[in-house]
Amino acid sequence: MSAPLANSGRGPRQQFELSIGCVALRLEMSDAQLFDAASARYAAFTGAAAQPVTIALNESAAPEGPPADFDYEFEGAALRVFSNGIRFDGVRHQYALDSLLRVLLSWKLLGHRGFLLHAATVIRSGKAYLFTGRSGAGKSTVASLAPEGSVLTDEISLLRRENGAWRAHGTPFWGEFRAAGSNTSAPVGGIFRLQQAAENQATALRPLAILRALLPNVLFFSADAEANRRLLEILSQAATEISGYNLAFRKNSAFWEVLPS
Amino acid sequence: MSAPVVVFWQKNPALAWREIDDETIIISPNDSVMHELNDTGSFLWKNIDGRKSAAELAELLVENYEVKPEIALSDTEALLQEMSSRKLVVAVPATSGVSP
Repeated sequence: MSAPLANSGRGPRQQFELSIGCVALRLEMSDAQLFDAASARYAAFTGAAAQPVTIALNESAAPEGPPADFDYEFEGAALRVFSNGIRFDGVRHQYALDSLLRVLLSWKLLGHRGFLLHAATVIRSGKAYLFTGRSGAGKSTVASLAPEGSVLTDEISLLRRENGAWRAHGTPFWGEFRAAGSNTSAPVGGIFRLQQAAENQATALRPLAILRALLPNVLFFSADAEANRRLLEILSQAATEISGYNLAFRKNSAFWEVLPS
Repeated sequence: MSAPVVVFWQKNPALAWREIDDETIIISPNDSVMHELNDTGSFLWKNIDGRKSAAELAELLVENYEVKPEIALSDTEALLQEMSSRKLVVAVPATSGVSP
């Protein structure tokens, strides 16, 4: 992992485009070292897409005009979303950039009927299976037990409702497994709330219980009432339309046998 | 002695809520706390609109559920107090003419 880049120099402005969950972003920065680190970090997610949203990184000029539609600060790094662009300031290293990108995505996905979830996503037989839970619940274990190449993410999953169906997308945000996510997507086969147990067993949940399982694991950073109403509407729809289960999980690969097909 | 002050009840406008499986989940965005209301709690929640008193809400409960008026009123008042302490609802003076 790269060291903090507090002393990195400024050079000509460079930019690269990335697409995470089909949300297209263009990062512009003058910091050559941060540019190199970020280009390498998001290599699997780079690529041109139609009308990316531009993010100006560490611009020295103070913004003018109306206040931000959404803003967030994390350990000295600040994100501000304006009607005419997005600014990330005080970004000293790629971890801060990673954090602000997650916050931004959680906000942007509202407009795409989507959300970010603390969950590992594994593809099996063409469907995405999401395993959610707090740290230590077994997300990384599930990812490590899955065949190579089948893990979309071991930490932060992205769900979107597209053409009337839910799809899970890979993200570049990793956890303990430290696997760079895969930039692909698949229709959602089910969401499983991990609970460590002596035996593997899946129990179907009704929509209210699925919503209860989702809420503590959703990444969302806005206190705005309207944004939260929108999020809750999206999550309720997901809880109603996606099959959800409690998965008693022994942390061995035999758990696949108890998953509903 | 003056007459008791009648208040109307309204939802805290800072909240997000959703009804699912006949229950209501309420999110308080400022502290990320989740609250749940059961069937009758959800019924009252839907009818809390800033234009009804506890007695009027209790009357609706009697009309829609098999419950005695005095029980409906005490349950409604208890729920409103509980929701008020959690900042889910606020009391407004009944004379203020709250607009929808």
